Amino acid sequence: MLEQLLPAISGIGSSTPVQGDTSVRSRVAVTETGDDFGNMLARMASDTFDTLKAAEATSVAGITDKASVQQVVESVMAAEQSLQTALAVRDKVVSAYLEISRMTI
Amino acid sequence: MVDPLKVSQGIAAAGLDVQSHRMRIIAENMANAQSTANTPGGDPYTRKTIVFSNDFDEALGSNLVGVEQIGKDPSPYRVERNPSHPAADADGNVKYPNVNILVEMADMRESNRSYEANLQMMKQSRSMVMMTIDMLRSS
Repeated sequence: MLEQLLPAISGIGSSTPVQGDTSVRSRVAVTETGDDFGNMLARMASDTFDTLKAAEATSVAGITDKASVQQVVESVMAAEQSLQTALAVRDKVVSAYLEISRMTI
Repeated sequence: MVDPLKVSQGIAAAGLDVQSHRMRIIAENMANAQSTANTPGGDPYTRKTIVFSNDFDEALGSNLVGVEQIGKDPSPYRVERNPSHPAADADGNVKYPNVNILVEMADMRESNRSYEANLQMMKQSRSMVMMTIDMLRSS
């Protein structure tokens, strides 16, 4: 599921809606020298992806009696938290994007 | 930097793990409370003890509880006279394990309470994290 989310979120950062040499565009270019917001989102999404993968691995290990119940619960809960954070941020980003697209020109 | 609330969840998870090990040792002691030796005059099951440790976890950057070692209780065995028992020595005495069921029961309750406390810790920090994430949502 996150495989689709990952390019989508980083896509939001790279698809600058305002093209051309406007003031908004130049301001984006200035901030890009530091850490890009899109990069931050992409990093966050890949972190979430790693946590989910780890939770999956621990769950499988738990089924085959190689991990304790506590370990399984802990990793699944960590994954759930990361996923919830990613979802909340995604919703916020999407709503901000929609807000911009609804802007009266 | 690691999120302190996530760290406390990790610490509580380590607590749960340690308490489950403790329960395992208690179960072993209780189950073997009457286990005598196989040979005449031999030593019976020796009560096991668990020692906890406080060790530093690199990933979380915090001190977690762990199992230091599982030792043996050096207290003397209970001796009963029962000449017909296969494990009886020349005088007819049988050595029984140095396990006191009441002590094990008390230990079990304590372990259970500690497990509950750690579980509550986990629940509470989880709900704090979720409450904070929910701030993003309510719009």
